Amino acid sequence: MSFVQNFPFFSIILAMFSGIVSSVLSGRRARDLSLCMIGITTAMSACVLFFCRETGESYTYMMGHFPAPWGNEIRAGVLEGLTAVMFGIVMFLSVLGGMNDAVEDVEASKLNLFYIMIDLMLSSLLALVYTNDLFTAYVFVEINTIAGCGLIMIRMRGRSLSAAIRYMILSQLGSGLFLIGLSILYDITGHLLMSPAKEAVAAILADGRYEIPMLVVLAVISVGLAIKSGLYPFHYWIPDTYGYATPTASAVLSGLVSKGYIFLLVKIFFRVLGTENIIDSHMVNVLYIFGIAGMLMGSLHAIRERDTGRMIAYSSVAQIGYIYMGIGLGTEAGVIAALFHVFTHSATKALLFISAVGLYDVSGGKRNPESLRGAAYRNPVAGIGFTVGALSMVGFPMLSGFISKLLFATSALQSPGKMLPTLIVLAVSTTLNAVYFLRLVISVYSRRGVYGEEQAAQPKSSFALRISIVCFVVLNFILGLASQPIVGAIREGLSMFG
Amino acid sequence: MEENVRLILPIFFPIAAGIFLMAMPVFRKRRKLEEGIVTAVLAVQLLFVVSALMTDVTVTLWSITDSLALVFRADGISCLFGLLTASVWLLSGIYSISYMRHEKEETRFFGFYLIVEGVLIGLDLSANLITLYVFYELMTLTSLPLVLHEKSRQAIMAGLKYLFYSVAGAFLALFGIFFLSGVTTLEFCAGGALDSAVLGQSRALFLVAVFCMLVGFGAKAGMFPLHGWLPTAHPVAPAPASAVLSGVITKSGVLAVIRVVYFVIGPESIRGTWVQNTWIFLTLLTVFMGSMLAYREPVLKKRLAYSTVSQVSYILFGLGLLNATAFAGALSHIVFHSLIKNALFLVAGAVIVTTGWTRTDEMRGLGRVMPRTLAWYTVASLGLVGIPPASGFVSKWFLASGALESGTGVWSFAGPAVLLVSALLTAGYLLPLTVNGYFPGSDFRGEEIEERQLSGREPSARMRIPIVIFAAASLLFGCFPGSLIRFLESIAAAVM
Amino acid sequence: MLEFFSRNLEATVSVILFGVGFTMLLLHQNLIKKIMGMNIMDTAVYLFLAAKGYIDGRMVPIVTEETLDASLYINPVPSGLVLTGIVVSVSTTALMLALTKRLYEKYGSLNLDEILMLAKEEKQ
Repeated sequence: MSFVQNFPFFSIILAMFSGIVSSVLSGRRARDLSLCMIGITTAMSACVLFFCRETGESYTYMMGHFPAPWGNEIRAGVLEGLTAVMFGIVMFLSVLGGMNDAVEDVEASKLNLFYIMIDLMLSSLLALVYTNDLFTAYVFVEINTIAGCGLIMIRMRGRSLSAAIRYMILSQLGSGLFLIGLSILYDITGHLLMSPAKEAVAAILADGRYEIPMLVVLAVISVGLAIKSGLYPFHYWIPDTYGYATPTASAVLSGLVSKGYIFLLVKIFFRVLGTENIIDSHMVNVLYIFGIAGMLMGSLHAIRERDTGRMIAYSSVAQIGYIYMGIGLGTEAGVIAALFHVFTHSATKALLFISAVGLYDVSGGKRNPESLRGAAYRNPVAGIGFTVGALSMVGFPMLSGFISKLLFATSALQSPGKMLPTLIVLAVSTTLNAVYFLRLVISVYSRRGVYGEEQAAQPKSSFALRISIVCFVVLNFILGLASQPIVGAIREGLSMFG
Repeated sequence: MEENVRLILPIFFPIAAGIFLMAMPVFRKRRKLEEGIVTAVLAVQLLFVVSALMTDVTVTLWSITDSLALVFRADGISCLFGLLTASVWLLSGIYSISYMRHEKEETRFFGFYLIVEGVLIGLDLSANLITLYVFYELMTLTSLPLVLHEKSRQAIMAGLKYLFYSVAGAFLALFGIFFLSGVTTLEFCAGGALDSAVLGQSRALFLVAVFCMLVGFGAKAGMFPLHGWLPTAHPVAPAPASAVLSGVITKSGVLAVIRVVYFVIGPESIRGTWVQNTWIFLTLLTVFMGSMLAYREPVLKKRLAYSTVSQVSYILFGLGLLNATAFAGALSHIVFHSLIKNALFLVAGAVIVTTGWTRTDEMRGLGRVMPRTLAWYTVASLGLVGIPPASGFVSKWFLASGALESGTGVWSFAGPAVLLVSALLTAGYLLPLTVNGYFPGSDFRGEEIEERQLSGREPSARMRIPIVIFAAASLLFGCFPGSLIRFLESIAAAVM
Repeated sequence: MLEFFSRNLEATVSVILFGVGFTMLLLHQNLIKKIMGMNIMDTAVYLFLAAKGYIDGRMVPIVTEETLDASLYINPVPSGLVLTGIVVSVSTTALMLALTKRLYEKYGSLNLDEILMLAKEEKQ
């Protein structure tokens, strides 16, 4: 066994331990540790990615002393490695970009708690990506929820507290459904490990037994994870949650947390339930319809929104809709498009949240379009970052959003029944995106508004923020210009997923 | 290798120059230097464009995905549009140097002015639909600051309108591109490479997709129903910007339509379908409607913008007939309209700079202020109306005879009729300015002209010369259209 | 029909309990009741799991010198899952109670609608 094969386990445990160690550190130290840890785990994930590309197959890693059907396992392949790397990069840049605002938003004595949450968040995300065991997935889903809730409520304002409780309630509904789903699945198949469970599922379906319970399992798991990732119509916790948390938390929650659940759902579809069964059960059609509804409704809500943070959050609702629409197409190309959009959206949405902060900072902390007028002149880097993010979301060529749209459209062409609605909704939703994003972009570039020259003289946003924005912009361009290797890796990873 | 560089140089040279200009604060203070650089860049750029158009290579700049790449090549259509763009840009640029002395933030204007030229040349040299689309979007985005220049509330609203129409149009077109990528290659090849047999069942959908692309790209060309941005956006931009917006940027919508219909799907695939009929109907409607609105519009720049709506649809009408004669007529109208509309907008700018008048009813007695400029205005106007020997006559002749021989049923008669009515309306909205300018009537006292000592205030040489060249060129092309028409007919023969 | 339910008594009960808990968590406006609903929901799942792991006539899965034979005790995995699940539910309950306490201190109400309204007004 190669040493690299230990890395998935190492990175999960490293993230968790730095969380524990942070509890006795000062806020500053905890932050440094956190950044350091994210860097190391990302490097490890990159090693895993290259290792798996080299060997051309995924491998399983036994946790503890019990072999396959009983024990606990990690399974890593190209897709897992890629996702972990991507999550790591976005996490690193989000923490970097939001760290000065975190100091302002969080009580000084509790700053290290904030970074504990970040560490636990990363640990649980990595575990969701790597694990091959359903119950482990459940446990880390819960850890993820708790850490997410902590990230929201650590900014002790009324609105973020109420957002946290809302988030918690919805998440509990989702994880309750997920838990009962996997219990029933365990009851039917007798397995918690994904790969043996798949064989059992195939055998059961071949016999034609347990049709209704299987359907229930499928529905309950899908709906549970859909609630947790904020698919329309379960989206109403999103705007407050993303809109009022501290910037790092907004970026991480919208960019990564919902994506972790989506990744888990795709994994369960491919590795446990089997794609053919999913398609036969018409569950994909349900997801497809909700996805399409989300694409439209999210954008419509965003158009009406006056608060920039909430507007970006509503745009997430639309983008999650895109992802579920891709999964709902029920083809491999659709899933590839959806997974690519997972990357696109996490890079872009985090960029938008972080650069929006740069704009608020120079506009007296106000977040409505009138106050933000001319903000791009007061903070050029944030202005450029926001513009790039907005253009990417709109689907401007050369940026990552365009590739996503391209992949969605070309995969839609392969499924005749869904081609027309998909293309139409893509076009409509893109135009709606353009309406609210470009309106804001023009606004931040328009003539100096309420905040004149004297505000321009106030201290500019921090160096870290600017670095983070620049890196995000570069990441967007990489995803947009060199998408081919990434799409290739996703395809390769997906083929070794089952 | 050297040819490759020559081909893509005119795309990146002005973009780099524009960014350089905006990034270097030193130019803000040294105005003369800045103006010199802009002129030099524009002149050198014209040479670069000529040299690029003489190359015979295909350059793949970047592969976005395995099947999609940014590819450039120069062909006949590229020559037409590239030369037109570069020369119009040079002349309007010279004019704008003088004009922009009256406006603020000229560095940003010049910077984006140069960038847009590079993007447009990229558009002209595109060798496949994806490249075209990329540069089409870039063009929308980089030309936006020109519209927004004044940053007044009105300008921002106009900019937003421009943006939304363009983006909505572009995505409508993108839908079509996605569809086409499934059935045919997106490479341009004269006459189109689409094999109708592959369409099979999805023929109905194919037609919808083509129609979406026509309407979508038609937005830039001001075709009904997405024409609304044009009369709003053009008047608020500085005059040289309105001139190139009207004269060249609307033509890029036309270019896109030409590329789609004649170089990707092939004219045969939509001949006689509802798409062709609706297309012709929409263009004729736009021709008539644009002329009517222009006739009723009192603000000169707005009137010219409505006139653009109408005139560009002449071109689209000619393209929609899918007939070689009409095609040549449409291409020649691209050149003529571009020259004429530039002249007219530049005159409107000169009037604003000298007198501050924007409404036509204020311009009575303009002949006393700038008699010579008004004379060139008249020459250009006659060209647009289509009175021989001015150039508009040639293109309209080809359009009308193309329509008559096109065999498109009712359109072959209705088309020329609408063109005739519209020509009368064109005379009706352009020539009163001349008449009232020289012959203000016996009740006209001209107090204002005397009070402000405006009499005989011709614009400066930098502003006058481009106007003269544009107007004279339109006249010359009308007198000696032979070689141009032969060139255009050779393109037409290749695609039919 | 009835026979089917009596044969699967534990499963039936736990599904009913799950439904009760789920509805409470979803529909009740009182935060404490919501938390109770959440606990009922979780408990239902534990009941389901534990019942599924139980094999009639066998012992608890505590391995000593005498009972090395696997056929003597019940399936230990579900019991393990239940234990893990309880830990998870305790921690989420604690978190939610803490949040509720905070909200109550701030707004003097346990009604979620009221709290959301108050929070919205406070912002403006």
